[in-house]
Amino acid sequence: MNEGWLALTQQALSLLFSLDPEVWSIISVSFSVSLAALVITLLPSMVLGFILAFSRFRGRWLVTNLIQTLQSIPTVVIGLLVYLLLTRMGPLGDLKWLFTQQGMILGQMMICAPVIVAMSQAAFTSVDRRAWETSRTLGAPWYSAIWAVCRELKVPLLLTIIAAFSRILTEVGCSMMVGGNIAGVTRNIPTAIALETSKGDFAQAIALGLVLLVLALVLNFALGSLRGKAEPRSH
Amino acid sequence: MAKIIAQDLEMRFDDKHLFSAQELIFPQKQVIHLQGDNGSGKTTLMKLLAGLIKPSHGQVQAVGYSLAPWWRSNAIVGKALYLHQHPYLFDGSVLYNLTYPLAFSSEDKAKLSARTEQAIEMAQLSHLLGQSASSLSGGERQRLAIARAWIVEPKLLMLDEPTSNMDKHSQRLVLQMVSDLKQQGTGMIISSHQSCMLTQICDHAWLIDNNKISTNDMVHAAAPTLAVHINPNMLNSMVK
Repeated sequence: MNEGWLALTQQALSLLFSLDPEVWSIISVSFSVSLAALVITLLPSMVLGFILAFSRFRGRWLVTNLIQTLQSIPTVVIGLLVYLLLTRMGPLGDLKWLFTQQGMILGQMMICAPVIVAMSQAAFTSVDRRAWETSRTLGAPWYSAIWAVCRELKVPLLLTIIAAFSRILTEVGCSMMVGGNIAGVTRNIPTAIALETSKGDFAQAIALGLVLLVLALVLNFALGSLRGKAEPRSH
Repeated sequence: MAKIIAQDLEMRFDDKHLFSAQELIFPQKQVIHLQGDNGSGKTTLMKLLAGLIKPSHGQVQAVGYSLAPWWRSNAIVGKALYLHQHPYLFDGSVLYNLTYPLAFSSEDKAKLSARTEQAIEMAQLSHLLGQSASSLSGGERQRLAIARAWIVEPKLLMLDEPTSNMDKHSQRLVLQMVSDLKQQGTGMIISSHQSCMLTQICDHAWLIDNNKISTNDMVHAAAPTLAVHINPNMLNSMVK
């Protein structure tokens, strides 16, 4: 590593450990917006995943394929859609959410919902039916039996949550278009990294990149240790 | 007396007619040997009576149970306990699996706790309590599943090919628990396509043959009374 890199890394670490208000404000916006989007979306999306896995209704195939398609839509396209919804002439223009955190939350909800629905549907489809039957026949009411099934699927369901959170925490396109990258209000980690890199202020970009890297490591190690404890079933 | 009554029962999978029966009564205090060839529908019939699946035609009712809360009022499920041929054990320890149904039982906590300890002893699971349930052998899994059912003292219990994975030691322990349940008045259906030592305690037989279910008393109707008062030496001799 040459001296320039070393100096930049030192500056980046110093920004983080000196609790630089600007850097930590960006981190705070990122986490609060993404966590809010995840929390609001999680339960309804998982319920939809459960319904798609266990029920048989006309059009189920179409809904499943539409949701899988939505997963692969670029975030800038979702950003454009949300922008058009929230712009003054748009159907949700009266909410005045454009360039606000609420608007960013709405955009990130639209990004993470298909991921949660599709991945949780796959998880519920793979569950051993006997888990549900055993729970019910032992006297558990339906809601306890659902909880028992979710408990059996804790690794794939946690993987779903982590995948959805990673996707919205690191997306740039939608946040940039809907949030507008306003300092202290809607500037989050990915938009700040894009901006600081274009300005040549690499120290702040590296500091924010390190936060994402540490988060990815922590989440994946936590999941890895959980997955390590899960043992395959013999039958 | 608690019972499950199935009337005008018919089961079909797509175009395939599996079985039909005019009326089946599965009451407490009866132990029924359910016979039939592989694929004749023994498992399906037990799942129907347990409320886990619905019949193509006809109705299944539970009689003699206390009124359930309004959100569970129509449910047959949970009335008759069904044990799979390969019992499902939840991810967790043996103790977790044994105590899983206690939260749903209306019985006195002290009584359930005492029965849990007794079940652990009867099924000889005390040295396995902290172990992961997924690491158990086939016989240990079956013993755990039956001990779990024994704790909640079900009014009706259905055992699907219970001895198919068990060595003689496990069979002996299971026979002891099942005989004990019979003595307590639990009605049971034991499915098996051939006679085994568990079917020796049956006093009625249901046979699925040619898509029809026929019912009759068994010839060795005296056997159950012997079995329930059986001592360990007699149990040993039965498995030899």
